[in-house]
Amino acid sequence: MLNADLELDARGLNCPLPILRTRKSINALKTGQVLKVIATDPGSVKDLEAFCKQTGHEMLASDLENGEYHFNIRKG
Amino acid sequence: MAKRLKASERRAAILAVAKVLFSDKGYHGVSVDEIARRLAVSPAILYRHFSSKEALYEEVLNTIACKRESYVDAVVSSDGSFDDVLKKITHIYIRSVSKDPDYLRMELQSALEGSDATRQFFDNRWKPFTDFIEFSLGELIAQKQVEVLNTSVAALAYQGMIREALYAKCIYHSPRYRDMALPELCDHLISLFLKAVGYEELG
Repeated sequence: MLNADLELDARGLNCPLPILRTRKSINALKTGQVLKVIATDPGSVKDLEAFCKQTGHEMLASDLENGEYHFNIRKG
Repeated sequence: MAKRLKASERRAAILAVAKVLFSDKGYHGVSVDEIARRLAVSPAILYRHFSSKEALYEEVLNTIACKRESYVDAVVSSDGSFDDVLKKITHIYIRSVSKDPDYLRMELQSALEGSDATRQFFDNRWKPFTDFIEFSLGELIAQKQVEVLNTSVAALAYQGMIREALYAKCIYHSPRYRDMALPELCDHLISLFLKAVGYEELG
């Protein structure tokens, strides 16, 4: 299990809030550090993939666990 | 007999005809048979491309409305502040809807029909705004960047203003706003909204 440097609870938030919060959280990390995001919005899967593609961060993992979406994103 | 089209062409033709009919008569006013008749095909051909009338209706909306990725673009290009994100997602939305006012007609028809199913499609499209405004204003109130207010009512007010601007420019072609482009009109409304909630930018 990958240890994240920071965890963002985006449960209950819908587009565009998970992306906004993720951007703010990733900005607080150093390059190479990992942000874990937990979300409940099903759209967050595509949204965060698009976010990573546009910003150069790396989506390390994207899983569905007990109705929650868990993402590990490495700051690029 | 209908010309033989490629699957993608057939699908596009169905969507085009369905859009015209739904915007004119609403969801309940249009039957699959009527759409098929207009295309000179059997209903079975339609069902090969869309599982139900409801699925067809939603797909018509999806072809007009902006894609989620556009909101991601807006956030990435913004400075992250409440007013900048609000402006950017609003501009993306109005740009997509104003390109094809049949979307607005479908929304009007849906409201008149009182159909829960179609209503949900439109509520989902306003959700990014209402959720963003409610949640963000809640945080801004705590940070004393806006006055204490009812955030869900504020979100409703915003939705109403932008929707009315879209109707005024794209449906009624109101002469009162003839000399003001839609984006400019919306920027004025956003300014008024920010003043009304007492928004103060940091720094």
